[in-house]
This record gives sequence, C-alpha cells and structure tokens, in this order.
Amino acid sequence: MIQRLVNSFRRKSRVTRIMVMLAVTAVLLGSVVGCGQTAQQAANSSQKSSGGSVQTITYWYWLDDPSHNTTQELIDKFNSEHPNIHVVGKMIPFNNYQQTLINAVSSGDAPDAARFKDWWVGQFEANNLLEPLDSYIRHWKYQPDMIPAMWDTGKINENSAVYMMPQAYIDFYLYYRKDLFAKANLQPPTTFAEFEKDAQVLTNAQNKQYGFAMRGGSGGQDQWYAFMLAGGAQMVDANGNVVINSDKAVQVNQWYIDLFKNDHVAPPSAVTDSYAQLLAGFENGTYAMMAHHIGSYAILSKQLGDKLGVIPIPQADPSHPATMGTMSGNVIFSSSKVKQAAWTFESWLASPEALNILDRSTNAQLPVLNSVAEEPYFQDNPGWKVAIQEESYAKVWPPLKGVGDVAGHVWQQTFDRALLGQMSSKQMLDQIATTLKEK
Amino acid sequence: MCGDGAQPPPSSKFNLGVNSLNTANPIIPKGRSGKGKLYKYWYPYFYLLPAAVVVITIIGYPVVRAVVTSLFHDNPLNPKMTFVGFSNYVSVLEDHVFHVAVLNSLIWIFGIVLFQFGLGMIGALLLNEKFRGRGVVRGLVLIPWATPSVLAAMMWIWILDANHGVVNDLLTRMGLSFLSQPWFSQPHTALPALMLIDIWQGVPFFAVMILAALQTIPEDLVEASFLDGATAWNTFWQVKFPIILPTVLITTLLRIVWTASYMDLILVITQGGPGYATLTVPAYAYYMAYSDLNFGGATATAVLQGLALLGVVLVYLKILTKQGILEK
Repeated sequence: MIQRLVNSFRRKSRVTRIMVMLAVTAVLLGSVVGCGQTAQQAANSSQKSSGGSVQTITYWYWLDDPSHNTTQELIDKFNSEHPNIHVVGKMIPFNNYQQTLINAVSSGDAPDAARFKDWWVGQFEANNLLEPLDSYIRHWKYQPDMIPAMWDTGKINENSAVYMMPQAYIDFYLYYRKDLFAKANLQPPTTFAEFEKDAQVLTNAQNKQYGFAMRGGSGGQDQWYAFMLAGGAQMVDANGNVVINSDKAVQVNQWYIDLFKNDHVAPPSAVTDSYAQLLAGFENGTYAMMAHHIGSYAILSKQLGDKLGVIPIPQADPSHPATMGTMSGNVIFSSSKVKQAAWTFESWLASPEALNILDRSTNAQLPVLNSVAEEPYFQDNPGWKVAIQEESYAKVWPPLKGVGDVAGHVWQQTFDRALLGQMSSKQMLDQIATTLKEK
Repeated sequence: MCGDGAQPPPSSKFNLGVNSLNTANPIIPKGRSGKGKLYKYWYPYFYLLPAAVVVITIIGYPVVRAVVTSLFHDNPLNPKMTFVGFSNYVSVLEDHVFHVAVLNSLIWIFGIVLFQFGLGMIGALLLNEKFRGRGVVRGLVLIPWATPSVLAAMMWIWILDANHGVVNDLLTRMGLSFLSQPWFSQPHTALPALMLIDIWQGVPFFAVMILAALQTIPEDLVEASFLDGATAWNTFWQVKFPIILPTVLITTLLRIVWTASYMDLILVITQGGPGYATLTVPAYAYYMAYSDLNFGGATATAVLQGLALLGVVLVYLKILTKQGILEK
C-alpha cells in the first residue's frame, strides 16, 4: 500500500495526490473528530412520540451501583402502572454521562428527560435547555412533603424557577474504623483539631497505615468541598459573589493540603486516589477514616459490621456546622414534545412509592420527602440517621455555570499541583475562582 | 498523446478491447482532439469517484467540519456560533498547558513506539522459531492486544496500586521496598507507568505484523545465506531485515498515528494528572471540549495535531522514497 502511495506521488498525478492527501488527513484527524461523531450517533437513539394513545418518553440515567439496575426496575413499575406512557430508559456510565448529554444536545437529539447533577444546572439553564418546573410542581400532591431546602438544589438563584426535580440527595459524613480507634484508645473526632490529631496517631507509614483516606483523584472535589465548608470557607457569599479565594478559604485549604504535605496522614497515592482505592483501603484497614456519603453504607456495613462507625464531618467551629450536599435530580429538556408525560414520570420518581424502592436499594441515597425520611427504616439506622441530621446544614455546589468545569477537571488539576507543591493554596483557589467567574 | 495509436471503432466511446491494450493510452477515446483531451482529463476521476464519495462523506465531512468549527467560538450547548478567525489557534498556541501537553505527547509517542517496535521485533523472531506449543503461544501473545483498553486500565490500576498492588508487594518481598512507588501519583513515574501499559498492549501488534513478514521469507534464501558463510546476525540484517522492512515501516507509521491519538488509559487512570504530568494533546483537547465546553479551541487543537502528524507522515514518506527503501 505504501509503495503504491509513494509511486502515485512519484507519477505526480494531481488527482492521486489530492486523494492521498485527503485520505491521510482523514486518518489523522478522523480519530478525534470521528469519536465525537460516533458519540453523537450513539446518543441519537431518542424516540419521541407526541401523538397517539401511548406517549413514549426517553429517559437517560446513570447508576451509582451499575450491578443492580434499580432505575430500570422503577421504569418497569411505572410503565406497568401507567398504560398511556411508555418510558424508554437508557443507562449511561457516569464517567461518560455529561459528555453524552452534551453531544446529544448539540446535535439536537436530547432525551425528553434525564437524571441530572446540580453541578450542571447552571451550564444547561444558561442556554435555555431545561424546562422550568414550577407550574408542574404547584399541582403536585407531594409538594408540601418535600424537604424545603431540596427545591433550592434545582434553582439558579433564590428567585429563579426550579429546573431540576429533587430525587436523590447525599451529604458527606465521616466513616471511621471503630476497631482501629479502640486499639489506639481514641474517641471519634468532632473538631478539625481532634481529626488531625487522631489521624496522626492512627498513621504508621512504614506499615502502610494511614489516618485519613484523602481523595485527590477523580471525584475528590466533593470530599474537599465538604472539608472546606466545615472549615468555614464559602464558595459564594450571600450576594452570590465568588469568595472561594478569600483569606479564610485559603487558610482552610492550606490546612487540608497540609494533612498530606506536612502531617502525612494520607498516603502518597492520595494525589490520584479515587473512590475504588479509598473503599478498598478502608475495608482492609489501611485507612482509619474516610469521608463519603450514604452510598457506601450498605457495602461497608456488610463488610465491616460492628467495626464501622459513622459520624458527622468534623468541624472547625462546631457551633456553625456545615458539610457538602449534592442532589441528583431529574430534568425535562425544553426540546421535549412530551413534557407533561415526562413530568408525570419524574414526579412519580420522587413519590414515596418510588423513593422507598430506590433508597432501600444498593443505589440508595437520602430521601427527599419528609414522610419517607421519618420512617423507622431511615431513622433507626445510624448511617441514615447521621446523614439525615446533616441535611439541615449541608450546602450544595452553587449553581454557577463554571461549576461543571471545576468539578469536571479544574479542581483535580489544581489540587494535584497544590499537593505536589507546584502551586500554593492561594494560587489554586484563585484559579478555581477565575473559572467560576469567567463562565 | 491521444492522437497516437490505432483508431477505436466509431461506435465505441471507451475502447477496452484487446487491441487497445497495446496502445500507449489504451482507454483514451479518439476522435476530435478537443473531446479526446476532455476525456483524458476526466477519465481518472470516474475511477476515483466511488472511493472519493466514501472518503468525503464518511471522513471528509467531519474533517472539514472540524476545521470550520476551529474558526468559531462554539459552546456545544448553545447553537449560536461566533466567528473568531484564528484566535482559537492563537489561544491554544499561547497556552503553557498546551506546551506541556505537546512535550508529554512527544515522550508518549516516541517512547511507546520505540519500545513496542524493539520488543515486538524480539517477540516476532522468537515466535518464528520452531518450538513445541508454538501455535498456542502465538495465540496467547495476542491477549494484551485483544484486551479492551478500559479493562486493561482497570487491571493495571490494581497491579500498580501503591498500597495493594502486586508490583509493590513483590518488590517489598524481594527486599526492594525502596523501589516501591505510588506509580500513578508522582509526576516522574505517572507517564512512564502509563506508557508501560500501552507498550504491553501494543507489542503483540508489532510482533504479529513482523512475524507475518518473516514468514514470507523463502527458506532457501536463508539457507543460501548460511551456506555462503553468513552468521545469524548477518543473515538477519542482510537478508531478513530488508525483506520485512516495508512491513516494519507501515506498522511503525500506523502506531505513531494511533498512539498520538490514543488517550483511553489516560482518561481512565490519571485524567491527565497528577497536575499536568500525563496530559497529552488529545486529552488536552478532550477536557477543553467537555469540561470547558470550548469546542472551537478543542477542534483547533485537534487540527494542529492532525497537521503535525501529517507533516511527520509526509516527511517520513519522502525520506523513505528518496532512499528507495519502499521500492524494494
């Protein structure tokens, strides 16, 4: 083939040269461009129906525990109970989820409805891609039962419409190994000072034993933000101004970085560790403390039994507690031709019937309805109880357009560099603030 | 020119008959000189048309679209595009992170291809020898190549895990704990660790391609070489290597292009980190597109990489052609 190619060049045939150039260019560029096209085509499976007795809606979602498709179970149940609506679900792995949605929207093939993170509401709303839900919510029978703060997670600001229907909420708390604490004769920490001291006592690097499972890799921004809030830092002030690079925030961030750099209570691998490494290390006793949410409770309590303890995130000032919360809700795309049917499905997903299925599964998250949260199943279990208590002071990521970029990449890059001493706490937060302000 | 040779039958526009095969321009219609010239000019296009249609519609359009997009400010969530000329290119070229990504890409491409070629060559020579179970071994060596990238990434994450990985565990058991590293978490080990995985995956491709070429070498040629007193070393370089050279060249070229665009391992394992330590040009473009929502900048980056690779390919071909290597 190469010989033919070169011979063609030698003969100096203009046609051949043009074709060869085109083919070679296509090979070189095709991989980058082609990937995007393929993703768009893959996303282009939406089926829509705006007429007839049965309305079909497309619904995209991800699963926290893909081994158990709880959402498909919910879809099947909904379809069986609603003969006039047929929901076609499509599960997309979380790592590809935002990219797939972006490709679908940019090519005009958005689904009718989708599971959504509060991180993305600002980005999508700014381009009028999301349907305001207020007019639907007003007539929803469980509207008074919703925990009031949950509505804010789907808003752009205090006065904006609600763009995301609450469904699955999480807030960050601290898992700790009771056995390791008992062995070291320590009490679980309630303050930053106690947390740092306990972590130091529980660290023995030579034996690969560490006090704290720090997450510098993929998804670590939530853990970081929980500690930033608990330390008294804020992402935005009461007026909506970005203040994540304030002196207070720089100080708290430095304290968090120093857990790794100075105290060495987290392992060297913390720079890139993600959830899988944290979970494995906590299960086998490499780590004594791990910040995560209710999503890990079922698997950890099964693995560790009585060795597992759960406490609120330690606070710099316990009189003003704070932690990070985040909502996975559902949105309706403004391009949908079957918005009413999509609303019927989304509102059903937030009903007590559906929440009781979801929140008792391996994909469990916190109930968003008071009536469900107050059930004994959730109140009598320490894992649920602490998380529900924290709901009153947990704060979500602000609905700024730049949050998607910070959560998607900027935080990880800057935090890595701060841990490695390539940038200061101030420089890291300045870059995050710039991203939040620019968007 | 078209006036030479036998005249075709008047009823035939395109003479593909036996007689015409002996002419200088066998399929050029004769007749009035102007019409003949027109046919002569256009006839190659007819034959190229089917391939051209396929290339243009399936690959050419996205390429053109990418070039056009690179001239616009394009947020994929907003259908409104603003023409910005070459400012996306300027922004990318002025970005110090892009410079880091280019350097990482160069290390990534040439490090990987060099080792894959060297190890692939050794593997091919070994697999070309006769030994018991050779068929089974030939099949087994393809496993890394056949392993999906994400699966390979997940596997190697745990093999090289700092705290629970088998590599660090073996080093510790061998009394070499000082060599135990958090491989993916240090700037100076993260990129080599990722390259190791890609080398592991790509060696079988080289080995199989070279093996196939080695098997085309006639046995009597090698035997004649030995009978003439050549050593195994001389036989390899003077007899075998010139024959397999075209295969080596095309395989190397393909691997350069593929490796340059390959980023699966990076996205799954390090996401370009720690810091920018494993951020290559495609990963830089990916995050620009899907995190920063800057499709204009991302496609400008892709076009720059495409042009750079095109330049490499053309220079490569020109040098080889000049030296006559590809003519052998």
